[in-house]
Amino acid sequence: MTTRQLMNSLGVAMAMCLAAGGAANAKALVYCLEGSPENFNPALTTTNTSLDASRHVFDQLVEFERGTTNLIPGLAESWEFSDGGKTVTFHLRKGVKFGAVKDFTPTRDFNADDVLFSFNRQLKPDHPYHMVTGGKFDTFNDMDMGKIIQSIEKKDDSTVVFHLSEPNAPFMANLAMDFASIGSAEYADALTKKGTPEQIDQVPVGTGPYSFVAYQKDTVIRFKARPDYFRGKPAIDDYIISIVPDPTVRFAKLKAGECTLMGFPRPSDLPEMEKDKSLQVMHQPGLNIAYWTFNEQKKPFDDVRVRRALIMAIDKAAIIRDVYGNTGQAAKNPIPPTIWSYNDTVKDYPYDPEKSKTLLKEAGVTTPLDIDLWYMPVQRPYNPNPKRIGEMMQADLSKIGVNAKLVTYEWGEYRKRLQQGEAMTGQLGWTGDNGDPDNFFFLLGCNAARDGGQNIARFCDKTYEDKLQKARQSTDKEERAQLYEDMQTIAHDQAVWFTIAHSVVYEIAKSNLTGYKISPLGRHEFAGADLK
Amino acid sequence: MAADITLAAPIGTASQPSSFAEFWASFRENKGAVAGLVVLSLIVFVAIFADVLAPHSPLEQFRDAVKLPPAWYEGGNWAFPLGTDALGRDMLSRIMHGARYSLFIGLSVMAVSIVCGVALGLLAAFAGGWIDSAISRVMDLIVAIPSLVLAILIIAILQNPSLEKTIAAVTIVSLPRYVRLVRASALSEMGKDYVIAAKVAGVGSLRLMLRTVLPNCLAPVIVQAALGVSDAILEAAALGFLGLGAQPPTPEWGAMVGDGREFIRSEPWIVTLPGLAILVTVISINLFGDGLRDALDPKLKRS
Repeated sequence: MTTRQLMNSLGVAMAMCLAAGGAANAKALVYCLEGSPENFNPALTTTNTSLDASRHVFDQLVEFERGTTNLIPGLAESWEFSDGGKTVTFHLRKGVKFGAVKDFTPTRDFNADDVLFSFNRQLKPDHPYHMVTGGKFDTFNDMDMGKIIQSIEKKDDSTVVFHLSEPNAPFMANLAMDFASIGSAEYADALTKKGTPEQIDQVPVGTGPYSFVAYQKDTVIRFKARPDYFRGKPAIDDYIISIVPDPTVRFAKLKAGECTLMGFPRPSDLPEMEKDKSLQVMHQPGLNIAYWTFNEQKKPFDDVRVRRALIMAIDKAAIIRDVYGNTGQAAKNPIPPTIWSYNDTVKDYPYDPEKSKTLLKEAGVTTPLDIDLWYMPVQRPYNPNPKRIGEMMQADLSKIGVNAKLVTYEWGEYRKRLQQGEAMTGQLGWTGDNGDPDNFFFLLGCNAARDGGQNIARFCDKTYEDKLQKARQSTDKEERAQLYEDMQTIAHDQAVWFTIAHSVVYEIAKSNLTGYKISPLGRHEFAGADLK
Repeated sequence: MAADITLAAPIGTASQPSSFAEFWASFRENKGAVAGLVVLSLIVFVAIFADVLAPHSPLEQFRDAVKLPPAWYEGGNWAFPLGTDALGRDMLSRIMHGARYSLFIGLSVMAVSIVCGVALGLLAAFAGGWIDSAISRVMDLIVAIPSLVLAILIIAILQNPSLEKTIAAVTIVSLPRYVRLVRASALSEMGKDYVIAAKVAGVGSLRLMLRTVLPNCLAPVIVQAALGVSDAILEAAALGFLGLGAQPPTPEWGAMVGDGREFIRSEPWIVTLPGLAILVTVISINLFGDGLRDALDPKLKRS
C-alpha cells in the first residue's frame, strides 16, 4: 500500500496533519494503541500503554539500545563511578535542543538544571512540582530510588553527580527506564508564571525525536518529527497514535490500512494474519514469566516433596500446546532465556504422575487432598488464558488425588488477596522493566515475602537471600551472573514455582514498514523506522 | 355444612378429572405447544439420564483430541459426535450434563419464587395497610433496577460465585412478577360473592387465603411459572457467560458460550452448540408456556 492510499483512508485526520506539517508528501505512521493514556508524563504512569503515548517526546540520561536491553549513552555522553560505586558522575551531551509545543518555545539548550528538575520532582516531597498531578511516582518508589539516591549535585552546566546511599548494580538500568525521562526546567518555570503547572503532564516537552502536537481524548494523539533532534531527524514525519481497545477492531483497521502497526493480537487471529501478504507478523520472546506457586506458610506446602509432587503432576507440554500455541515457550527458570545469567543447565521437572503419587505418600499426605487454585480473572501479557490453564491443572491434579477448587476475584482484589497470602496455591506472572536479572529475582527475596509483598510463595531462603543482596551490590557482571545462576538452581531445587511459560510477544505491521524492531521491554519505538 | 364447602370452592374436587380432559383437549389443538412439550420432555429425559446417555465424562480432558470439529466434518471423529472443546472435553457429553444444570436452575428458581411469591402476594393482599405498602414498594424497587444488573450486584455482594448463589440471585430478581400477580388476582377475587359468603360463614383467615382464594388465583401463576423457567435459564446463562455463575469445570451452557467466544472465527462449534442448546430449550419452554396459557385462560379459549 502506498503512502497515498494510506492518506486517503485516513481522510480528515490526515488532512489536518498535513496542514500542520506543511509537507506535500510527508510520511505518516499510525500506531493503533490498545488503550488511552492517563497522562503524558512517563514518571506518573506504569503501564506500557500509557508510556507509549509519551515515550517519543523524551530521552533519558542512559537509554536502552532499540530492540535490546543493552545500555547506550543517551543525554549523558559518558559517566564514571567513584567512591566504591557510591558516586556516579554524568557528563552531559552539549547542544541538545528541546522540542517546541504550541504555547512554549524553548530558548536554551538542555543542561544540568533539567536533570535536577526531573529527578528532584520525584525525589523531594517539598519540590514545587512534586504534588502537581497527584505526586504518585509509582515506579520511582517501587524501585526504591528514593532510598538509593541520597542527593543530586550540579557541578557545572554539563556535569551532574548522583550520590547513592550504597552501591547498586541495577541503578544504571533503572535510569534507562521511562520514569527517568528528562523534562525541561525552563518549561516548568514558564508554566509556573502562567499559573498552569498541571499542563506539564498534559502537553509534554522533551528532547526526544518527536514533539507533541495534539491529543483528542480516547481517539487520537499526534506528534511531528523534530528536524533538530540530536540523533538526526526521524524518517517518518508524522507519528499518529490511534486508540483502539478491541483487538478484533485493531485487526480490521490494520487490514483496511488505517493502522501501520498493532500489538496484542488475539492468538486465534494469527493464522489469518500470517496468510495475509500485505502484513508482516513479527514476534519475539517476551521478557516475562508466568508461574503457579504454593504458599509455603500453609501446610502441606512447607514440605518440598509436596511442591515437587504437584509440579510433576502437571502436563506442561499440553498447556503450552493448547493454551499458548505459537505464542509461548515452556519455562524452567524464573527468568526468561533472553536475560543474561539464564542458567541453561537446570533440568526441568518431568511430567510424571506416578512419581508424584510416591512423593505425596513419602511426605505423609493423605489423598484426597483438598486445595484451592487461584487463577487471574484477566488475560495478561504472559498468560493468554489463566482460567483455561487452571482447568487443565485441575484435571491433572485430580489424577493424583488432589482436588483443586478454582478461585478468582476481580483483578485488583485478586492481587491484593494473593499478596496478603490468602491463597494456598495461585497463578501469577511478571514482566521485566529494565532487563536486569535483579528485576526478576527480587520476587523470591525475603523482603518481598512480607504480607502484601510480591513474593506470594513466601519463600525466604537464607542462601538465596545472601546471594541476592551480594549480586545487588556487586558491579562485576561475571560475578553477578554466577550468583544468579546459583539462585536459579536453588529456586529449582526448592520447587518454589511451577514455571509455566515465557510468552512470545506478537506485533503485526503493514509490509511497507521497515527498520522497526520489537522491544523486549514491550515498548513501541519508531525513531529508526521508515516506510517504503 | 356441605353447602358451605361448595360455595367455598367452585372448582370442586369432583369436577377436576373432566377439567383436565378439557384442558388437554384445548392444549392439543395448539401444534406449537405440543411440539414444545415433546422437545421439552426429550430435554428432561436427557437431563435425568445424562450419566447413562453421555458417551464420556463431561470433565475428562482428551489431550490428543483438542478442538475436534463435529464428526460429520473433515477431521471429526465419531467418538466425539459433536466435537471437543479447547481442552479436549466431549461437547455432546458437556451439553447433555449442561441440560441438567440449566433445568435444575430453571426449576429451582421457579419453585422458590412460587412459594415466596405466593406467600408474599397473599400476605400483601390480605393484610393490607402498611404490610401491603412495604411489600409492594420493595417489589417496585427490585423491578426498578434492570434485572441482569441487579443479579450481578447480588452475586457481587454474596462473593465467590457458585451455582447456588446464581439461583438465589435469579430468584430475587424474578420474585416481583409472582408477588404482583398473586396480590392483584387475590385482591380481585376477594371482592367476589363466594369469598364474602365464605367470610360470612365464619371461615378462618388462613383457610380463606389458602383454600378459598388461592386455588382461583393459580391459573395465571402456573402460566407465569412455566414462562419464568425460560427467563431463569436465560438469566443464569447470562451470569455464567460473564463468569459469575457456575464455576469451572461445571458444564453450564452460559459459561461454555463465554469460554468459547474467542473461537467464534476459527472453531465456531465450541461457542455455537451450547448457544443452540439454550435456544432450543428456551423456545420449547416458551411454546409450552404459551399453550398452557391459551388452554387455561377462559377468555382466550372461547375466542
